[in-house]
This record gives sequence, structure tokens and C-alpha cells, in this order.
Amino acid sequence: MVRMSAMIEVRDLKKRYGDKQAVDGISFTVKKGEIFGILGPNGAGKTTTLEMMETLRPIDSGEVIIDGVNVAKDPQKIKYLIGVQPQSPAFQDKTRLTEVIEMFAAAYGEKVDPMEFLRDVDLEEKAKSYVEDLSGGQKQRLSITTALVHGPKVFFLDEPTTGLDPQARRHLWELIEKVRDKGISVIMTTHYMDEAEILCDRIAIMDNGKIIAIDTPKNLIKALLNRGFKKKQEVEQANLEDVFIDLTGKGLRDE
Amino acid sequence: MNKSLYTVATFVRINTKRYFRDRLAIFFTVIFPLIFLFVFGSLNSGSGNISFRVALLNQSNSTFANDFVKQAEDSGIFKINDEATTLDKAKDLMTKSQLDAAIVLPKDFGTVQPGQSVPSGQAEVIYTQNNAQSGTALSSVLESQFKAINAKLVTVQTPFTVKSEQLSQKSLSAFDYTFAGLLGFSIIGMGIFGPMNVFPELKKMGILRRLSTTPLKVWQYFLSTMIGQLIIGSVALAAMFAVAILVFHLKIVGNWLELAAFLGLGVVTILGIGLALGGWAQNERQAAPLSNIIVFPMMFLSGTFFPRYIMPEWLQNVSGFLPLTPIIDGIRLIATEGKHLWEIAPQLGLISIWLVVIYIIAFRVFRWE
Repeated sequence: MVRMSAMIEVRDLKKRYGDKQAVDGISFTVKKGEIFGILGPNGAGKTTTLEMMETLRPIDSGEVIIDGVNVAKDPQKIKYLIGVQPQSPAFQDKTRLTEVIEMFAAAYGEKVDPMEFLRDVDLEEKAKSYVEDLSGGQKQRLSITTALVHGPKVFFLDEPTTGLDPQARRHLWELIEKVRDKGISVIMTTHYMDEAEILCDRIAIMDNGKIIAIDTPKNLIKALLNRGFKKKQEVEQANLEDVFIDLTGKGLRDE
Repeated sequence: MNKSLYTVATFVRINTKRYFRDRLAIFFTVIFPLIFLFVFGSLNSGSGNISFRVALLNQSNSTFANDFVKQAEDSGIFKINDEATTLDKAKDLMTKSQLDAAIVLPKDFGTVQPGQSVPSGQAEVIYTQNNAQSGTALSSVLESQFKAINAKLVTVQTPFTVKSEQLSQKSLSAFDYTFAGLLGFSIIGMGIFGPMNVFPELKKMGILRRLSTTPLKVWQYFLSTMIGQLIIGSVALAAMFAVAILVFHLKIVGNWLELAAFLGLGVVTILGIGLALGGWAQNERQAAPLSNIIVFPMMFLSGTFFPRYIMPEWLQNVSGFLPLTPIIDGIRLIATEGKHLWEIAPQLGLISIWLVVIYIIAFRVFRWE
């Protein structure tokens, strides 16, 4: 019954670079329409795990099954099932936003209405601009919509909000939630705990190539408290980010 | 339309538009070769009509001498140097190879000597060892001019004469060789330096890596680059033909369609080298040295800037096998010698072999990141 709703199954996945066991036998499943976060310090193996799932790196051992298709055995078929948002999205310059979308759709052999996809991420006013005139947040949004042109079932994001201002981050969270609400499984890595707590339905915490905890953010916090953990400082009812958003508003800035 | 080809067509359409928005790219592919064409074209067209750079030192006051100087100035055969007013100055310029010779008209030149009815005199032609050729040529030019003058002054009989006849058959000019070579240079510039600069940059930005997560295949990417290159190439090469024909009076005697097909084959073949180098290199540092090793020998040995016939025979034999050589030779054979495609089978054969070898390598070594 659990297997029915699993979109992704990762079993005993391993990857070694020279002496270093970058990914050391991890297993997890991701359900249809959930946001699954992979957290961990730098070098924990998050990106390598993602890259193996995205067909970008050969798998040493273990397997990844996405929607019933084995990644190692049929990578070409997997490419139609997944959308990938790289860590720092870049596009060839002198290209209009509409053209970027047309090209990505064409890579899947499809013809789409670019305006529809730009509207999804609030970029319709920029349709005729060149990509080099976009702000960091706008580039992230364009990148998200290009990753969805072919209607994938799984969407990978690698540290999507790094370097964005609080308004742009919040806006991106809403977009990611919208993607999930369409029934797409979202897998993302992040260094921001607040982001993981607010956005992710479930998270896996990785260290030294292994998954050391996997659950919903709420359950993970509850488990910690049950172990008798106490914060040194008294918990405030608001934090500095709440002050910042209260003063500057939630409105998106792009200039 | 077939889905795979729709992918290729879309990439071609958008990337070609992008190219024409990029002024720097247009400069390097279209304008830059034209500059070379102007430089080499004017160097070569000068050698067509012989002119001597001379110092004309007239020490005589006679009307005959003055008329002679005036005629010499107007004739166009002599380029008279105004700086050299004394023999010493002329000698100095000759040793610096800035002058071919000095013509001295002595004091009594053109005066009527006692006991004679017509003016007479002896002009001196002075030249250095290095300029012996132009010195003797100049002497015979002067001699024949004097002969014509003598004939007017004194009636003489000429029992033996020489009549020369020019064949109507046109021989190749230096410019014909240069032009084919410069087309080769332009093809190298587009085909090799283009992808070699662009691909590593796209890899650095992660753009190719992002594309590799889509079902896009290498052959689709190569084919779209190839078609784009043919479009841009036809613009660049057409501009060169236009300048060569309008400014340097190049005469194309061959069939234009065959020429265009052959140029297309050449562009695609050389592009393969760029695709292999740029596709293999992960960054600019890897690309630069390898491209220099491959491009520079080809540029100098295949006859881009100077014709191969001036090389020693062994070098001609070796350089004959470089991929660019049959392309440049073929262009010249079709364009200026009017050969048909079936008459240049050796060139076509060699290019085809290179085409296969180059593209096998290009597909093997390509990396998305």
C-alpha cells in the first residue's frame, strides 16, 4: 500500500570518489505530491545524491526508481519524468525569456505557449527582455518554469533560495508549494532550517554520506524535545526576520 | 514534423537570432576576415602593374632633359622619389631598399653637340647589388624609350624586329591564390574558434549540464550548431565574395552552385574540429593550447596567407594532407579555374575522409560539463 503512493524509491544508493565514500548506502522514498528536503552540512553528499537521481552521475551501486523506471537502466526515459533546477541557474545571453522557454520545450520535442509558463512565475512583463537583464530571483523563477515545461512528475531543486532577499525567498516558497499542489513530487536541498521547517513535508538529514534522521520537521523537533533538549535562551514570540518582513512588507522587489 | 528535427529547428532558429544580436560575434566572423581581405588584397593588386621607385637626378638644363623628366613623371612607370635630390641621398635610400634605382641625367644631356644636328646624351642608371633585377629591367625600359625617341630624330632602317603576342588564356593571379586562402582563414575562424570559445564558457556556466538533464541528444546539438554555422557562414563568405569581386575584380569562372556546395562541405568539415575541441575541453585553459597546436600549423601550411607552391616540395607533400588544404585548393579550382566537382575528386575524397574521422572523434570526446 505504501509503495502505491511512492513516486521515488531509493535503495542502498552508493557513490565513491577516490578514497571518499560520498554517498554511503542511503535509502528513502518520496511520495507523490510532497516536498522532500535533504539537509546536511557541506560535503555530506546531498548534491551527489541528487545528481545520481538526475542521471547526471553514474550510480556505483544500489538503485533509484522514479515512477517505476530505473534511473541507471533507462536514463533517457527518466529525463522526460524529471525537471531539474540547478544551484545557480544560467542562460545563454541575448536570449529573450520566451525563447528560453521555447528552447527548453523543444529539447523535449514539444511546442508550448511561453506566455502561459511565464505567467505561472509572474514574469509575463519581462517576456521580451533578455535573460541577462533579470535579477537573481527572477532568474530562479525563470529556471523553475523552464524545468516544468514538459510536465514532469518529479522536480529537483538544489539550494534554490541561496543569495535571495527575504521577499524573493518567500515568493519562491509559494511557487514551490504551487508546484507540489499540482501533484508533483519536489526534492530539494537547503542550508536554511527555517526554509526546511516551513516548506518541507518531510526531511532527511545527511552527514558523511549517510542519512541520520528522516521524518516530518514537526516529528523531528518533538523527538529532540523528548530527549530532554532545552534551548539556552527563552523562545521569543518573534524573530529578526519577522521584524524585517513587518517593516519592509512582503511585496517582491526585483530591482 | 519529426519531433527530433523540431528540436533541431527550434535551436537553430533561436541561436541564429541570438548570433545576429551579438555585435562582437558579427565583427569576428564577418568584419574581421574582410579586414584581412583588404590588407592582403591591396598587397597583391599592387604587383600587377610594374612601377619602379626611382630617384631622377636631372643635372641638365636642356629643354630635352626637362621634357624627359616631365614625361617620366606622367608615365606611371616610375614612382619618382622627391626626397632624393642628390646622388648621396639616393644611394642612402637604395641601401635601405626604399629605392630601386637612381637615374642620372648628366649636365650635357639633351644638348646639341658641336657638329651635330640633333640633341644627344647618355642617361646613367645606378643601382645596388640587391636591386640588380630591377636595375637591368629599368635599363631596358629606358633603352626602348630612347630607341623610340631616336627613331623620331634619325631615320633608321630596322631589318629585324620582334613581334610579341599575348595568349588570351588567363593565368592565375596572386590574388586568386590569396582569396581562396582567406576564405579558408574565415572558415577556420568561424568553425574552430567559434565553438572553442563558446562551449567551455557554456560548460562553466552550467548551461550544457542543464541541457543534459533534458532528452536533448548530442547529435541534435551538433546538427543545430552545424546548420547555424552554415547560415552564418554563408553571410560571412558572401561578404568576402562581394568585396573580392567589386573591389579586387575577382573573376569567378566556375559554377556558383558547385562552389556553394563545396564551401558548405568545407565549413561543416572544419566545424567538426571546433566541435571536437570545444566539446572535449572543460574550460578555456584546456581549449587554448590544443587549439593553437592544431590551428596554427594548418593556418600557415594549408595556404591561407601565402600559397603552398612557394614551400619546399617535402613540405608541400606533408601539408597537402591537412584537412584545410584540399578545401582551399578546391575553392580555387572551382572558383577561378572553372573546374567541376567531378574533376576535383582527389580533394573531395580527402575532405570526406577527414569529415568522417573528425566527427567520429567529436562525438566520442564530447562532454556536457
